[in-house]
Amino acid sequence: MFQNFRLAMAWLHTWFGLVLGFVLMAVFFFGALSVFDREIDRWAIPESRFEPQPMPSFDKVLRPVFESMQPRPESVATLRGEVNGPIPERFDIVRRWGAYTTHRDPVLNMFAGYEVPNAKDPEKTVWGSRTIDPRNGRSLPDDQLKIGSQFFYPLHYSLNFHWLDLGYWIVGLAALIMLVALVTGVIMHRKIFREFFTFRPAKHIQRSTLDLHNLTGVLALPFHFFFAFTGLVIFAGLYFPVAHSQLEPLHELHEKLEAEETGLPEDRAGVPAPLASVDAMVAEAQRRWAAQGMSGDVGFLAVQHVGDANGYVSIYRAGTDRIALTSNGIHFKASTGEVLREDPPPSAVDRVAEFLTGLHLQHFRHWLLRWLYVLGGLTGCVCIATGLIFFVEKRKRQHARQGSQGARVADALAVTTITGMLLAALGMMIANRLLPQAMPAGWPGRGDLEEYVFWASWLLAMAHAFWRSPPVAQGRLSPAWGEQCWAVCALSVAAVLLNWITTGDHLLRTVAEGYWPVAGVDLFLLASAALAATAARRLARVARAVPAMQPGGKPEAAHA
Amino acid sequence: MAATDATTSHVIARIAAALLGGYAFTWGLIALGMAGLFALGMPFHDAEHLSSMLALLAYLGVFCWAFAARSLPRVWAVLAGGGVLMAAAASLIQHMLV
Amino acid sequence: MRDALLLLGAMAASVAGMGWLALAMDVHWEQVCGETPRSPALVRGLRILGGAALALSLALCLAVDHPSMASLVWVMSLAAGALAVVFTLSWRARWLRVLLAGLPRRAGS
Repeated sequence: MFQNFRLAMAWLHTWFGLVLGFVLMAVFFFGALSVFDREIDRWAIPESRFEPQPMPSFDKVLRPVFESMQPRPESVATLRGEVNGPIPERFDIVRRWGAYTTHRDPVLNMFAGYEVPNAKDPEKTVWGSRTIDPRNGRSLPDDQLKIGSQFFYPLHYSLNFHWLDLGYWIVGLAALIMLVALVTGVIMHRKIFREFFTFRPAKHIQRSTLDLHNLTGVLALPFHFFFAFTGLVIFAGLYFPVAHSQLEPLHELHEKLEAEETGLPEDRAGVPAPLASVDAMVAEAQRRWAAQGMSGDVGFLAVQHVGDANGYVSIYRAGTDRIALTSNGIHFKASTGEVLREDPPPSAVDRVAEFLTGLHLQHFRHWLLRWLYVLGGLTGCVCIATGLIFFVEKRKRQHARQGSQGARVADALAVTTITGMLLAALGMMIANRLLPQAMPAGWPGRGDLEEYVFWASWLLAMAHAFWRSPPVAQGRLSPAWGEQCWAVCALSVAAVLLNWITTGDHLLRTVAEGYWPVAGVDLFLLASAALAATAARRLARVARAVPAMQPGGKPEAAHA
Repeated sequence: MAATDATTSHVIARIAAALLGGYAFTWGLIALGMAGLFALGMPFHDAEHLSSMLALLAYLGVFCWAFAARSLPRVWAVLAGGGVLMAAAASLIQHMLV
Repeated sequence: MRDALLLLGAMAASVAGMGWLALAMDVHWEQVCGETPRSPALVRGLRILGGAALALSLALCLAVDHPSMASLVWVMSLAAGALAVVFTLSWRARWLRVLLAGLPRRAGS
């Protein structure tokens, strides 16, 4: 198809980069925000603005909450058509209880999976969840959306588009294309070493944009490559479900062998049994970790086959001091508290896999590395954004001469996915501060409304971008860029002010107290406002300087 | 940036070969890797993880190759054909073990 | 506190290392020093200094964290350091003269 290898790779980089670049903007941006997702949660849910807590007593705090839980209505709703007879009202046989905490979370997340009586597929499970204050066991209201960990974070790997799991597949394709773009970009970039430190902002816009695109791509190349690659590795089982389809028999064979080897029963015995003191099991687990020189807190605790003689409790150490995720799991017989199994040290392949996934999922405690990750993610955003802008700039004048609308459409989409995306996030955070604590009866939940505002803001930004785009068809700069930059500036400041007005936690107080989750979000918003204002002023200067082009090729005089 | 015989249908066929043929090739590689390594004694999930990691890198490689290669029929033969062959081999190994 | 200081040192070493490597290139030397001539020995020296600073940065990272974590911190510090050098070169190139402190005026010797 191409005369030579380099041309083929350039074509690939340009066209796949353009199409998937719009998706990758969202993936990288919300991925960067997700580094501090739980801190954003604190900003969005003022009741949770206290210090992170260790895992509380299971027997005294967690067990009463677990026993009072039932599946969420949304989960029960998925049973339509999956049950022989009516959908059950209560679910009493619990497959699994789980609780996990992180060193960044004041609140504790708890979940429970229930068997479904009369289900067509005996493996079908419905789920319930609860978020509690570990200091007293009080539950947080269900409709409080954790904007960071329950919206921005899933957005970056699934676009929150769950119909047929399409969002996951689109992001997966985008990740593959990111790798392709990095490899083809290196192949295209002949002066990769010579221009390593080169940025010429004073030159014409195509040159300076390309310089910025190249340098943000090259300087953080290991970061971009590893994040795209590890993202694919994390969801490999979803993209290539070999073990649950073609090789399912082999998987079953393995499960049988493993159950025999580990002594952890796969199924219930059908014989009821009490639950011994889990606190005693936790103490034993911590004693064993300390004896191996790896003392630590509990990160994840699960009870399998609740209430059954085959039940067992699994306790995992919080892996905050190394990259690999969790580890050192110890499993106890639920009814007696005796140790059934200590997970053996990981194999070499295990260690590599844990390192790769742990590098991406970031359960570690290291504030500098987290901020460096944010820098990497935002650098990736700049790389993608400058790529889109370069694409438009390179073709703008030619399309204007030809009377083509291509550059105009690409530019409007670029505005939508760059400044428009910021406006969507800001709109949501402002709605979070303005909506009442409890919505009136008949209204959608508070969290649902916040999500609607997010998408509506984005659509509004897109409409604005297209409405203001005609100058691009004449080779000029769209005013949408500058206008949306000013909007980003105004909304960022508004969000900080609203936090102060609605919660009393203004910056002087949060910084003085050292409550960095909220102070950090506010400071980040103010920095964004400053950056957006600087960008808007520069754009205004550039816009005044560029003459319009008419189809046919004659430039008009510049308009003031 | 001129492509030589870049009719729209040819471009679509190339993209299909890269995406779909590449997917088939990757699937086959993962299946063969999992079955083969498990048969050789590697723990199941280790075989799964190792095969996935290597196969994803292979997908990256064959995707680029699909656009660089001169002959589109050859691309289809290697990717789709290779994928099917590897998957078949995996099922054969599974049949012998289960 | 000790950890914070060591990591600060590592970041500084990465910035300095990248700065010296950039100065070893003619185009960036000119941005910082104008037309001042220099000897091949100086160019070599700058490269060695740059490499040494980056190695020091790695050592400092390893002194603070588990190797799996330290290696990531170091790689990211290289990116951050390079970005800092790039933007300094574009907007305040003269600031990088601090990396040449202690060199004789005519850097030809």
